Amino acid sequence: MKRNHRLLDLLRKGRSPLENHLIDGFVDGRVSRREFLRHGSVLGLSVPLLSATTGALGFQLATSSPARAASGGTLRVGQIVPAGSIEPAKIADGGGITVLSQVAENLVLSAPDLTAQPLLALSWAPNDDGSVWTFKLRPGVKFHDGRVMNAGDVVATFDRLTDPEVGSNALSAFTGVLSKGGTRKVDDLTVEFHLDAPNGSFPFTVSTDNYNAVILPADYAGDFEAKMNGTGPFKMVSYAAKQGASFERNPDYWGGAPLLDRVEFSFYDDYQPQILALLGNEIDVVQYIPVLQAAAVMSNPEIAVINTPSSAHEQVHMRNDMAPFTDKRVRQAIALCLDRNQLVQGLMRGMAEVGNDSPFMPAYPSTDKTVAQRDIDIATARQLMEAAGMPDGFEVELTTEKYQEIPEYAQVIQNAVREIGGRITLNIMDQGAYYGDAVPGKSAWLDSTLGITDYGHRGVPNVFLQAPLLSTGTWNGAHFNNKEYDGLVSGYVAALDLEAQRSAAGKIQRLLLDETPIIFGYFYNFLTATRTGVSGVVPTAMSHLFLQQASL
Amino acid sequence: MRRPRAIRSGGHLARKDGAIAGYLIKRLLLSIATLWLLSVLIFAGARLLPGNVGRAMLGPFADERAVQVLNHELGTDRPLLTQYASWISGLVTGDLGQSYAYQAPVAPFLQTALLNSGKLALLAFLMVVPLGILGGVLAALYRDRWPDRILSVVGLSATVVPEFVSGIILILIFGVWLRWFPISATPPRDAGFFLQLYHLILPSIPLVLVLFGYIARMARAGMIEALDADYTRTAVLKGLSFPRVIWRHVLRNALLPTISVISTQTVYLIGGLVVIEILFHYQGIGSLIYVAATKKDFPMLQDGIMAIGILFTITTLFADLLYAVLNPRIRFQRQE
Amino acid sequence: MTAPSDMARPRVASGPLRRLMAMPSFLIGALIVTFWILCALFGALVVPYDPFATDVMQSLAPPSDAHWFGTDQLGRDILSRVIVGARDILTVAPLATILSTILGTTLGLAMGYFGGWFDEVLSRLVDALLALPTIVVALLALTALGASTYTMLFVIGFSFAPIIARTVRASVLAERGLDYVAAAELRRERAAYIMFVEILPNVLPAILVEATVRLGYSIFTVATLSFIGFGIQPPSPDWGLSIASNYGMIGGGFWWTVLFDGLAIASLVVGVNLVADSIQAMIND
Repeated sequence: MKRNHRLLDLLRKGRSPLENHLIDGFVDGRVSRREFLRHGSVLGLSVPLLSATTGALGFQLATSSPARAASGGTLRVGQIVPAGSIEPAKIADGGGITVLSQVAENLVLSAPDLTAQPLLALSWAPNDDGSVWTFKLRPGVKFHDGRVMNAGDVVATFDRLTDPEVGSNALSAFTGVLSKGGTRKVDDLTVEFHLDAPNGSFPFTVSTDNYNAVILPADYAGDFEAKMNGTGPFKMVSYAAKQGASFERNPDYWGGAPLLDRVEFSFYDDYQPQILALLGNEIDVVQYIPVLQAAAVMSNPEIAVINTPSSAHEQVHMRNDMAPFTDKRVRQAIALCLDRNQLVQGLMRGMAEVGNDSPFMPAYPSTDKTVAQRDIDIATARQLMEAAGMPDGFEVELTTEKYQEIPEYAQVIQNAVREIGGRITLNIMDQGAYYGDAVPGKSAWLDSTLGITDYGHRGVPNVFLQAPLLSTGTWNGAHFNNKEYDGLVSGYVAALDLEAQRSAAGKIQRLLLDETPIIFGYFYNFLTATRTGVSGVVPTAMSHLFLQQASL
Repeated sequence: MRRPRAIRSGGHLARKDGAIAGYLIKRLLLSIATLWLLSVLIFAGARLLPGNVGRAMLGPFADERAVQVLNHELGTDRPLLTQYASWISGLVTGDLGQSYAYQAPVAPFLQTALLNSGKLALLAFLMVVPLGILGGVLAALYRDRWPDRILSVVGLSATVVPEFVSGIILILIFGVWLRWFPISATPPRDAGFFLQLYHLILPSIPLVLVLFGYIARMARAGMIEALDADYTRTAVLKGLSFPRVIWRHVLRNALLPTISVISTQTVYLIGGLVVIEILFHYQGIGSLIYVAATKKDFPMLQDGIMAIGILFTITTLFADLLYAVLNPRIRFQRQE
Repeated sequence: MTAPSDMARPRVASGPLRRLMAMPSFLIGALIVTFWILCALFGALVVPYDPFATDVMQSLAPPSDAHWFGTDQLGRDILSRVIVGARDILTVAPLATILSTILGTTLGLAMGYFGGWFDEVLSRLVDALLALPTIVVALLALTALGASTYTMLFVIGFSFAPIIARTVRASVLAERGLDYVAAAELRRERAAYIMFVEILPNVLPAILVEATVRLGYSIFTVATLSFIGFGIQPPSPDWGLSIASNYGMIGGGFWWTVLFDGLAIASLVVGVNLVADSIQAMIND
């Protein structure tokens, strides 16, 4: 591949060493074009720069105004009922995020192609070691009440989210990353984040991935539901808890007024009625459909399915400190019984990617793709069981939650391990009972010998690497305790350049493949269904639903 | 309770006039005692639910600190007796409390839910009562002949098939295949009367099916009894035409057991609403309870179940009185 | 009013089976129920496929020569699952009915026999419980205790007991004032003896009718609870459960994934109720 070195040298001017290292990697061919885009966006290489470097940009949200084809109209959207009140700091469910994303915005968009894109921030850059990040804000952004957003609002927002007294849901994401007082105003349109520790992927911490971190006015005093005063493309007209919400176009939206006049949201308790309502032309969009249920609309010519790649997955944890899983050969044997291609093609209807028993899905730029893919191998699995002294197999209870395709996945696993004499009984609980108090000793999730847990999408694998797998991890259902692993992960998180990350990732991937504390069978896509004729709907795998470009 | 195992007969009312007031007061006091017991049962049942409220609301991946702050805000860390006392004193003074999940007063939710369920139940009753009585009268007139037998078997079958089975078959046929009716019971907001009605037709049919056999059976029994009774024979002998006799004497008497069915079936109907409302996506009392249970929204759950209990107690009381007023035999007995 | 116990017994015993066999509705009902009992007992031996074997590459195949009822979303043969699906519901529902009959009979005998404040308090409790639909009581209890087949068995058993108790109590009250009870009391028999040996045989017909009717409701309730996710759990091929896990897709036209299970439930409850109805009609005659 021929590269224009002079152009790249020009681009390098004024870049931090970190950024230049990435550009070097790109020039040397160590970093592919896609990876360059992804990782460059994190480091804050601006979009024009990245475009200039690669000459392409996959994802456009609000950065341009497309031809106004069909303007106006009311779009009817179905979604799962928000679990609680719409309070930005407290929201922790997809239903709440979908509503919130109409009216309020983050600094950064974690785009479907795993790049970080500007939203309320125009650009960002780290200092040399990644401990201070400087964000330039978009000028002229107005809240719905007409006030102009400035750095003071951003500082107040993050101070509120990092204040333990407030009890924000974002505390988990900010712990060890950003503390109260770490956010400082430089000027009206510049904010500095002084981090607790260097962090190479901080922009994702303030991106849509951290859905609670929407920018609210500095004097926000609670009761968001009454006005929903944010910067988003739509303004609230009415909100009826449990029933639905109406929004109207925000004519002052910084990205240009949305095409639609109105958006009507209807809340549903389940997916099924939404699909039926979509088929019955009562709604135009279903914000999210689990893969199994999407089978109902996949072949229907009236329905189009938007397939958003995602790192969401089901973790099959095996308690490393409990029989029969104390022996890693047993864990490996079980992993070898699964036909992952069949899982993806059959169970998930092709709407998933094969997993390799680590959180590193192929789409992450830091994933080391030279690590061999684990595949079904019954013969080896039987040998391993014999070597482990269990030629007759084992008996164990598989405890899991009633959510999406998990009960079906559990039955596939139950069926698959029969090959090595595994006798699994299923205990499928409702979600509340499965998670319990979410602390060891009071949670079927964290106490079960064998379990399956759903993990939602994250733009970077950090959370997946830490909470469920570190010896100190709070969601460590596998009770995996491996000092070498802990060291590798802290190295990975601190690594600022892509190559260092990838080298750490390779070691982590190999270690997890060998230890197999958790089976990562597949990473499933995030599906949104629309009636054909609806265009411009942009979902994120985090449950945001961007409708500013949508039209009927 | 599908069949009126024990029809609360108005027989107790066959007393001297003065005793009626006393009886009424006793019934009222007993009802209150029953409701109080019910409140204890519901509270105990609800608080046995595992897990903690804050965790259930914020989800497994929420920060533990956020969970604790929320639990404190909600008051779920207070002693159980305190929580019961504050709930029950609120109920008595008309304060239903705050929903945990929506952090808003329960009352409006409950009101909407009861109103919605009321619409659905009313439509079902409006359809099933005439149908059921007609069926029962027909069966009685053709007693032990084929219309009677067919009505009996069809009625029984319709009554015992679970609502979710008939509901799904109806959705398959009329919602998905023929597309005659919407499959969601919830009409667009601000929908007019007829649009609401249109949305409620399909969901009310499983309820109609379940109640039809019931009412037809009771109406048949009442009708047969009335047909055999002396006053019918007397009326015919007096020279009244047969249809007039049926209309004036028999039908009115056949209505009595039907009223009693309605009172005993209210509670069953509500049970059916849980399934129907889930199946047809309808925001009624049934789905309110179901969702509140899965979300551990205690105030909502307790108030919702309590509302059913109160509703049942009132309907029973009312139906007993109505029964006594309408029942000629009781009046005859009083004259004796 | 001499020896009423001698009068009641022959009434039940006088060729009840012969009289039942003369009723077409009983015959049809018995035929259906017997069919499903045979499926539950021996279905696993005759099914064309392993009802638990998943083959995700064969999922959602419409009915064909190979799969008469089609396959579900995990590629399992629906015919085989419907046949074997009779097993769990026909285990849980009768057990729950037996449990509730034993509990309810004991309670009803005691309430009717002792009367007084004991009866008054228990009657209030029973009234309180009966003010709630079984489904709601079960929902509350199953959320509290966690959904499992055993929990459901006990929940149904306990929530049906008051209904049976009320029926039994009413029958006992009718017997309570009769001479044979007074005679037994004069003989200073123990209360338990009078209740279970003297009174029980005379109220048996009422209990029998109530129990058969309860069996119908029991099946109804098991199916409904399984459907809303609080009953029988995967991977059981239970009908209600199968409908629950497949009805999300009927919009896509996969009617075979729910229709056959629905018909199975419908036929079983209708069958049981035809039998119950016939027995009731015979005893009331």
